[in-house]
Amino acid sequence: MRTKATAIGTALVALVALCAVFATSASAAPAWKFETKSLEGSEVILGGALESSLTIPGLTTKCENFLYKLTIKNEAGTGKGEVTELPLYNCTTDTAACSVSKIGAEKLPWPSHLTTVSTTPYIIIEGVRVSILYGGEECALNETLVPVTGSAGGSINNTTETATFNASTLSATGTSLKALSTKIEWNGVFPTEAFQWHREQAISVS
Amino acid sequence: MQKYRARVLSTALLAVALAALGLAGTAQAKLTGEYTKFAQCPYKTAEVKKCVYAVTESGEVVLGSKKVPIEKPVTLQGGAGAINEEEFGKFYAATNGITLSKAPQNVPGGLLGIVPDASSPALVKALIKFFLENSLTGVNSTLELATPASNIMISESHLAGEEGIALKLPVKVHLENPFLGKNCFVGSSTSPINWNLTTGTTSPPAPNTPITGAGGEGELLEAGHIIRLKNNKLVDNAWSAPSPAGCGGILSFLVTPIIKAQLGTTTAGHNAAILKGTVMSAAAVAVKKNDEEHP
Repeated sequence: MRTKATAIGTALVALVALCAVFATSASAAPAWKFETKSLEGSEVILGGALESSLTIPGLTTKCENFLYKLTIKNEAGTGKGEVTELPLYNCTTDTAACSVSKIGAEKLPWPSHLTTVSTTPYIIIEGVRVSILYGGEECALNETLVPVTGSAGGSINNTTETATFNASTLSATGTSLKALSTKIEWNGVFPTEAFQWHREQAISVS
Repeated sequence: MQKYRARVLSTALLAVALAALGLAGTAQAKLTGEYTKFAQCPYKTAEVKKCVYAVTESGEVVLGSKKVPIEKPVTLQGGAGAINEEEFGKFYAATNGITLSKAPQNVPGGLLGIVPDASSPALVKALIKFFLENSLTGVNSTLELATPASNIMISESHLAGEEGIALKLPVKVHLENPFLGKNCFVGSSTSPINWNLTTGTTSPPAPNTPITGAGGEGELLEAGHIIRLKNNKLVDNAWSAPSPAGCGGILSFLVTPIIKAQLGTTTAGHNAAILKGTVMSAAAVAVKKNDEEHP
């Protein structure tokens, strides 16, 4: 009789543990929503960075026009997507010596997915590759093509409908971007606004 | 009158001497801060676009069956010209003539490591005995530039991007010991060892397997005028080396074949170069400007 009770107890513990695992994975995979309803099909998010800079130790590069196009969808309840366009214009550096001759995103589309870390929703963009050709006769990187590669995680704010990328969000998601073989800093705030079927609808992630 | 003439002459001579000193002063580079590393860069040459200063602090050179660790720093310095379509810039020799510094590295095992006593002819045995008795057993291996510096090619994009060849370096290895004589070399100006060093991954023929280098940690210094790559790792294990030559002085006909046998196969796939250190590069215009600002 005692054996039966022990067996039931063990089974219950196992069930609770299993539920906990599922609960964790469920919260780790949020979905895209519009007006609180889960997105069906796909949607296009289009916008420009409110602010964005990329820092290699000793050199910060900023772009006035940091546009992006992101196609999103939900797959098995999990938000997915891909960055399909990322035109960058009017880029400068914080030094008088170095200018930006050319800059461009490569190997698009970059896959993305949503995740949750400590109740905060994040978007993870993988396979990032941006090549920067620096110019300036006095610049050490003059005529040197510097590829920026890696993955980046940004926190999503449902209230302001923005995605923020910085050192904390990259660290929280275990992602990193590298240039000149060095971990670099990327700071950017991107509005997340639908431009296809859900225009002017409140977008959220949960 | 004579006294007056002598005074005029001595004043004139003093003026000439002072002027000469003044000229010498302006010719002397007085670089400051991180720019001092580029003192031997031919930055006044119009074709030179970049100044390069690379120090290999550790690593190893594997030549057939012999492995020589790099324990003493080796410096590569000079200038680099405009890049070509393949993103390579031609190298310009250091102004002091020391483009690749000669740092003798200790060969593990010494003389007996490369000339075994047991299997050598009687004459060689007797000579080795003499050298052993006189503690002249240490053998040094010195890396030297095999051809003019203009044959070195450098690609900063590949260096930083960790793909493709970053540095083409034609070298020869000088084996030094009184027994080996002054002209014991592996590689020569007509048949150099051509290293195609990468910070990416190599594709060597068997039995070697791919090895991976590293661009290192990059940092811009002096307001973007200088870049420093710390913990840089340049590798190549696909190179071939010619047979040694000129070893043993007048006994070369006896000693060289022994060394060749001791090195074993040195065809591609049996050798490796792993160079770890710091690479610095600066815009030549910026170095020149720093020089002019500090006469």
